[in-house]
Order: sequence, then C-alpha cells, then structure tokens
Amino acid sequence: MLKIENLKASIEGKSILNGINLEIKPGEVHAIMGPNGAGKSTLSAVLAGRNDYEVTEGSVDFLGKDLLDLSPEDRAREGLFLAFQYPIEIPGVSTTNFLKTAINEKRKYLGLEPMEATDFLKFMRSKMEEMEMDKSLTSRSLNEGFSGGEKKRNEVFQMAMLEPKLAILDETDSGLDIDALRLVSAGVNKLRNPDRSFLVITHYQRLLDYIVPDFVHVLYKGRIVKSGDASLAKELEVKGYDWIKQEVEAAV
Amino acid sequence: MNLVQQIESEFKLYEHQAQKDDFFEYRKKAFQTFQKNGIPTIKNEEWKYTNLSKISEIGFQTSCVSNLDADALIKAGILNKIESNKIVFVNGCLFPELSVWLEDDPSIICTNLAKARKEHAAIFENHFGKYLPQEEGLNAMNSALMSDGAFIYVPAGKRMKYPLMLTNITDANESNILQQPRNLIVIEKSAAATVIENYIAVGENSSFTNVVNEIFVDENASLEHYKVQRAKGNSYHNNYTQIVQNANTNINQVTLTLDGQWVRNNLHFNMNGENCNSLLYGLYIPDGQQFVDNHSRVDHAKPNCFSDEKYKGILKDKSVAVFNGKIMVHLDAQKTNAYQRNQNILLSNDATVNTKPQLEIFADDVKCTHGATIGQLDEEPMFYLRSRGISENEARKLLLNAFADDIAEKIKIPELVQILEEEIERKL
Ligand SMILES: Nc1ncnc2c1ncn2[C@@H]1O[C@H](COP(=O)(O)OP(=O)(O)O)[C@@H](O)[C@H]1O
Ligand SMILES: [Mg+2]
Repeated sequence: MLKIENLKASIEGKSILNGINLEIKPGEVHAIMGPNGAGKSTLSAVLAGRNDYEVTEGSVDFLGKDLLDLSPEDRAREGLFLAFQYPIEIPGVSTTNFLKTAINEKRKYLGLEPMEATDFLKFMRSKMEEMEMDKSLTSRSLNEGFSGGEKKRNEVFQMAMLEPKLAILDETDSGLDIDALRLVSAGVNKLRNPDRSFLVITHYQRLLDYIVPDFVHVLYKGRIVKSGDASLAKELEVKGYDWIKQEVEAAV
Repeated sequence: MNLVQQIESEFKLYEHQAQKDDFFEYRKKAFQTFQKNGIPTIKNEEWKYTNLSKISEIGFQTSCVSNLDADALIKAGILNKIESNKIVFVNGCLFPELSVWLEDDPSIICTNLAKARKEHAAIFENHFGKYLPQEEGLNAMNSALMSDGAFIYVPAGKRMKYPLMLTNITDANESNILQQPRNLIVIEKSAAATVIENYIAVGENSSFTNVVNEIFVDENASLEHYKVQRAKGNSYHNNYTQIVQNANTNINQVTLTLDGQWVRNNLHFNMNGENCNSLLYGLYIPDGQQFVDNHSRVDHAKPNCFSDEKYKGILKDKSVAVFNGKIMVHLDAQKTNAYQRNQNILLSNDATVNTKPQLEIFADDVKCTHGATIGQLDEEPMFYLRSRGISENEARKLLLNAFADDIAEKIKIPELVQILEEEIERKL
C-alpha cells in the first residue's frame, strides 16, 4: 500500500525528517509514537502534500504511484486521507456542500458520474448514523464554532464519507475526554477492513487501547528509532520516552 | 470639450430657454457652486485615489434619444426576475414602456421628479434639495443639470407590498452619454419600503452617470435599500446617496458593484434621532482594469444608535479598489455602537486596494471598532480543502463564495441573492 524509503524533508533549511523507512501493507494498522517535536506531524503533512516542506531525499510509493509527484488533491483522490491534528474552521462553507464537492471531484477523477443530490444525502445520513454524528454539525459551516472534540469527530466522519485506502490520523486523540476518545476510536474501528490501512500518530498510548495496532514505531529526531508490536506502546507508557532518547544518544 | 466646459455651455443653453422648468432657481444656485468648486481633483483628500481627469476629457452628450426595444429587454430577463414595482429611466429620461405598478394603495406614490413637483408640491418642497451637501462639485453639477429621476413616497403607516426597482439604463449605442439622475425617496413615520437601484448599460460608447439620491426616513420607519451596479462596458458612474433618518428607524443598505469601468459610491448616513439602526454592507468584484471606490460616512448625532458597516472586495487582474469609511460619533451620541470592517482578497499581484477606515469619536460612552484587511486567499483552508480531493480551482471558488456569502446573506430578496450568485459565478 505505502512504501516510504529514506524520506528526508526540511523546512526553511531546517532538516526535520532524517531518513524515514516504513512499509504499510493493506489492512495493517501502524502506530507512530514519539515525543513532541519528533516530526510526526511533519511526516503526515509531507505525505498529504503540504508544500511548505521541501523533500530533499527519498521516495514514497502509494499503490504503485509516486506519491510525492501528485498534487494534494490527487493524493486524496487516489485514496489517501489525513485527519489533521488541528482541523481548521472554514466559515461560510457548509459541511454538506464541502463533502459533496469532495466526493464528486474524486468521482470525476475516477471517471464516474457525479452522485445525485438525493443519493448523496442518503449516503451522508447513513454515515452520520454509523459515526454517531449529530445532525446539527453537518448543517453548520465547516468546523465553525466546533469544540476540539467535535472537530476531531468531524475528521473521522469525513474519513467515513471519503472511504480512503490509507488513513493517517495525526493525534486524533489529543484534547479528547474519555467519552469523545471512545466515540472517535469506535468510529475508526468501524472503518477497519482488510483493504484499508491506517497510520495512527499519537503521543500517548491510551488511544492504542482502543485502536489496537499491528505495529508500533517510535519516531525521534526525524527517524524511526524503534519498531515493535502493540506491547512496545505499553512499554513506552510505563517507561516514558527518556530511555529511547538515551539509547539513541548512546548509539551515536 | 471637457466636462466643465460642457456643463457651462449646457447651463447657458438652459438659461436662455424661454420656457425654463420649475427648478430654475435651484439649478442656478447649484451652478454657481459648481463654478466655484468645480470637479474634484486628487488634491482633494477625499478624491486622493480617485481620478476624474480622464473622464473629464472624454466628451459626452446629454440625450434622451434611444432606440431601445422594450420587448427585447424584457425578453433578455434583465428586468423581470424580481416581482416588483418598476420605474425605468433611459439616459436619464423616463421610459414608461417598462414601468410597472403593482401596489393597490393609491396613497403610495412613485413618479418622476418633474411630475412630482407639480402634483405633490407640498411633500416635494419639504424634502427636495434639503439634505444634499451641495459643496461637493459633482453634487452641484447634478443639481444644476439633473436629468430626471424617481420620486418615491410612502405615507405614514403604509408599507409597500412589493419591492420597487428603480432601473437606470444607459444607452450608449449612438454616442457618449452623460446622464444625471436625481431621485428623492420619502418614507414617512412608521412606513416601510424596499428599493432596488439597478444600473445597466448597453452600447459601445462611453457614458458618465452622475446620480444623486436624497432619502428621508421618518420616525419608526424602515427602509431596505439595494444598489446593484451592472452597467457593463465603458461606463463611469458616480453616486451620492444621502440618507437622513429620524428616531427608531431601521435601514439596511447593500451596495453591490459588479460591472462598470469606473465606479464611485458615496454613501452618507445622517442618524438624526435616538435608537436608529443603520446597516451598510457592500461587495465589489472588479476585474480587468475596473476601478471601484466606496466612500461612506456615518454620522452618529444622537444617543443609543447602532451602525454596522462591512464592505468586502474580491479583486482580480489589474483592478483597483478604494474604501474610505468614516464614522463620526458626535458629542451627544452616548451609548453608540458602531462597527466597521473592510476586507479584501487580492487574486492577482497587479490588483490594488487603498483602504482607510476612520473613526472619530467625541462622546465618551461608546463601543466602536473598525479595521481593514488586505490579503490573498489563506493557504490553510486551501490546503484543507485540497487534501480532501477538491481541486485548487474548486477550493478557491468555495472559499470566495463563502467570503461573498457573508454579504449576500444581508440581502432579503431571494431573487436578488440568486442574481448576485450568478454574477459571482460569472465573475469568478
Ligand atoms: N512550519 C514550521 N516552521 C519551522 N519549523 C517547524 C515548522 N513545522 C514544524 N517545525 C519544527 O519541526 C519539528 C517537528 O515538528 P512536528 O512535525 O510538528 O512534530 P510533532 O508532530 O512530532 O510534535 C519541530 O522542531 C518543529 O518546531
Ligand atoms: Mg504533531
């Protein structure tokens, strides 16, 4: 599904990703953990195509295509989805209109007819039910006046609507209370299937109690410095990140 | 002949007519003011960015002659999209073929100035020429040689059932046209009206339209006033709208500037009583080499009034926009709430905005804010939308429509909102 090789990226001359290697197969859930400033959001932004970052080396293959060569919209149309760490508010753009445009742009790209208005509304209603979304949220402007939790849930709802092949969740758990965390995780788990892969970025282990990953990687200073299975996350919870930092420093 | 010379020669012709109209004394005084003050130049602070010198040299004719085909206009759907009372002027002269009257209450009046002066002399004399600042050169020019215009009168306690669409058509098929429409709107106590000022143009030649509106809104009355500028081509347009409102009045004013080579809107609210609400909104979407200037002034003269002003612009190509908004809170005007914003999005590196929000406060217990922004479309929302599969172009459209909708939602006539949305679609 996704193969990242020796990916290096910098911003304003400052190197942030220092050679990332990662392969994700269909249906797998990978978690990336790491201290603040490790480069987790940078990795997700580079994958989604934000052009503030300069990719200086490496390659990313997504379903046989050179991901780095695609525009952000084409990446999305090919099946990549990023749930943002800080979803922004877009006043005046209704969630419904936004999603209809997004779905139909993707359909156009894939050579499909646009969805009929009534079919779209039916589809949206069923997804709202499935994701336990409040009706009022979709009638409002995109994220406008939403609480932190509502914004994160809206990201997961969008993911359900757009049915990506690979979803990257950038700290979708941060700032959520336990109830919101449960709802968000339940939403994600409903979307898990053998063809869909996830890259779950988190700072804390607790999300991984709900979304159990197949692999856990630790990102530190722009490199994956340790990989393991779900138990690695538990170990990190107990021991914190300091031992990893020390290991890395000692190896240098 | 430049514009000043033309006005002088036209006035001489007028003066030497055996049969002068009823406005002679008024015109004569105004002409003297015009001779003294002339056409404003960029040395005048209020005209610093707004240059009339090129327009003055074009050379225009004043002429009622028009071969406009009324049926064709109706078929083109320019006038009949909104169910409304209609009064239409072509090149400044009444065009009765297109006028429509739907009100069934005969006490509500809409006619042309010449007739109003004769048939409704008392009301007319009470208001005509009473509110306009004459020292403005272009206002004096209008007063000296005004063409004709609408007289709209809603007596106390009455409410117009339909909006009134006041349309000015410039027919520049035959020559360069100068027209100086002059409108008077009187809304008496506890009355209500909706007026749409609509400007369109046909023909390849140039035109200069110099409009004056005097609007009086008495206690407890309300007015919805829309100005829609859709005069395409080489049209130059100056508009001075003077609104005087008494206590407990509500006015919602929306100025939409879509077409026109050169447009200057002057809007002056005089809030002359307590508990007034004045809403001033505007949207301009210039492209090509269009020039749009919105000048406004709101005088808070009495306590407990509220004014909210928001003008938004989307500029393309080499277009230029000016915003100048002055809010004056006078010594007596305690408990004033006044807000003013001007927001601009530049879609091209060659577009220019000069903006000057001004607030002058002489009372001490007031809440006022003002501000202006000029910038490109924000990167963050663009990326957010694109990351969901929406193309750059569609994303831009969504964001610009959202930006414009903020003004569109101030319009209370759904058909007008629809017209605006189509125009936005066309321009973007
Ligand atoms: N736009 C930016 N400009 C400059 N530095 C940035 C920018 N974005 C991120 N960084 C820096 O890159 C590093 C990694 O940031 P980030 O990817 O957000 O880390 P994480 O998500 O792991 O907390 C940090 O040191 C941060 O300060
Ligand atoms: Mg981050």
